[in-house]
Amino acid sequence: MRVTLYQLSKYFGPVKAVDGLDLEIAEGEFMALLGPSGCGKTTTLLTIAGFYQPTAGEVRFDDRVVNDLPPRKRKIGMVFQSYALYPHMRVLDNIAFPLKVQKVPRRKWEERARKVAALLEIDDLLDRLPGQLSGGQQQRVALARALVKEPDLLLLDEPLSNLDAKLRISMRAELKRLQKDLKITTIFVTHDQIEAMTMADRIALLESGRLQQVGAPEELYNFPGNIFVAGFIGTPPMNFLEARLKGNELVGEGFRLPLPKGTHLPSTPPPLVKIGVRPEDLVIGEGDVEGEVYVVEPLGRDVLVTLKVGPTMLKALAPPELPLKAGQQVKLDLAGGRLHLFDAETGQSLLRGNDAN
Amino acid sequence: MWKRIRWGWDKAIAYAILVAIAAPFLAMYVGFFLRAFGKGMTLGIVPKEFGLSNFRFLWEPIAWGLGKTTMWAALGNTLAFAITSGLVVTGVCMLAGYALSRIDFKGKNLFLALQLFLHAVPGQVLLIAIFFLLFYIKLLHKIPGVALARASLEIPLGIWMAKGFFDGIPWDIERSAMIDGCTRFQIWFRIFLPLVRPGIAAVFIWGFLFAWHDFIYVYTLLPGTTKLMSTLIQSLLATEVIDYGYLAALSLIYMIPPLSLFVLLQRALLKVPVFGGKGV
Repeated sequence: MRVTLYQLSKYFGPVKAVDGLDLEIAEGEFMALLGPSGCGKTTTLLTIAGFYQPTAGEVRFDDRVVNDLPPRKRKIGMVFQSYALYPHMRVLDNIAFPLKVQKVPRRKWEERARKVAALLEIDDLLDRLPGQLSGGQQQRVALARALVKEPDLLLLDEPLSNLDAKLRISMRAELKRLQKDLKITTIFVTHDQIEAMTMADRIALLESGRLQQVGAPEELYNFPGNIFVAGFIGTPPMNFLEARLKGNELVGEGFRLPLPKGTHLPSTPPPLVKIGVRPEDLVIGEGDVEGEVYVVEPLGRDVLVTLKVGPTMLKALAPPELPLKAGQQVKLDLAGGRLHLFDAETGQSLLRGNDAN
Repeated sequence: MWKRIRWGWDKAIAYAILVAIAAPFLAMYVGFFLRAFGKGMTLGIVPKEFGLSNFRFLWEPIAWGLGKTTMWAALGNTLAFAITSGLVVTGVCMLAGYALSRIDFKGKNLFLALQLFLHAVPGQVLLIAIFFLLFYIKLLHKIPGVALARASLEIPLGIWMAKGFFDGIPWDIERSAMIDGCTRFQIWFRIFLPLVRPGIAAVFIWGFLFAWHDFIYVYTLLPGTTKLMSTLIQSLLATEVIDYGYLAALSLIYMIPPLSLFVLLQRALLKVPVFGGKGV
């Protein structure tokens, strides 16, 4: 099923939780709603599920407007962050509950519930109560309950955030695989950009109720449309330096750089710009910018170096064989790496190739 | 050494105070049991011999004034009265508590505040109004009618109790049930009621106990020929010669049902959240 959000807004009194959101989720797509807490992603999900009525705008399933359709008639499956299993029912009854409500005959619901349980490898837990299961097992039960009615749309609210770190990584891969096998249109909410990057076909990044950018993970990483997207995607986060435009040069405290390729200045160029450079693109040891090593943190595969350039602190990922010590003066290459350029006032990107967003 | 003696004194004083407070109550209970099982009291509370003759109402009819009844009839009436009241309180409070916990509507907070106000109104104030009300709906002098009136007094606080239990159930469970295809009523019946079983027990006991102990409503609104335990005991007090042993034995029987309910359901009662605490 295709899901379309058209100018979707949801206000709680004076608070604009979601504000004019336009988004289309294609049939079979795995879409992540990503953003910091309070950005409106969960409100959006609950509106799609039908728990909230939009203040303005529309939610469409295929071509049908479903604003007034109650959740129980929407043919959706949902997994909650807390899993929300019914504590008084056995696992089998939990999974089969959506079918029992539809008055599916016993033989049939039992068969279907067992099949889904086998798919999720929880068929040996069917007689237990939810309280006797581990977090990972509870999550599988919740997922089985969402899938048993063969929904048109699957909604996942922070599905991995209650699992321990190791389990989270294996579930990430498993969920992605499962979604591809079942081809159910899926929307999931997360505040963890790594989760969104690794699992989703496309990511919609929200902030303060507004859509910042939507696209494939690589697109958001390589061509962030504004400063917020640039700073949110990628770990460690992108570095920003303030600079002034002087002809074809960027001049800041302690450096002077040529304009990067693909710069697309408006007719009246902004006086102040922000240069963005990712830690993994910063090269230490060559170049014409002077910096001082402030802290060196070994991560194993790389070394995370904090550098001081003029008044600004920069993070860089360096190969571990590089001999670096705190207090050491080093040369830096900013221009050699891939630079991002933003209008300091509006935060919009000044690079060509972002116009599409 | 000095320290130990000193510490002993502290304890002795504490115990002395506690005993002084408890003694009158203990004496009352001891006297009560001695009377119930004793015969021919001397010095007020020392029985000459023990026996079960005070319990003769178990097999003999009880005479009061010119009338006659049996303990079993009174006990049956009281049970019917208290159980009806308990069921009415439970039914109304479980529905209202769910609505007030989960559904948003205009005037909800006013309604809740009003319940507290109603709880503060003494039941006797309403007696005359209830008398006419029951008279016009033809339920006066009938146990179910009076039980209904009695239940209405305990419903306000019972609603708060029930709401507290429903408040303890996470919203995600309710949302999950909606996604799974339930209507609001199905959620209440299939998911919430099983989860608030301690709440159901507590609210039922609430309605049951107050009706069980009630005297004024029963005395005023039921005919003198329909005896409940409380009015039976009262009518035996109104005779010229009072047989205290007989009364004590009767009162002992009167105590058994509420006591056993408490023992059976005490674990549920310990979880009672009256003002919005977590119940489950």
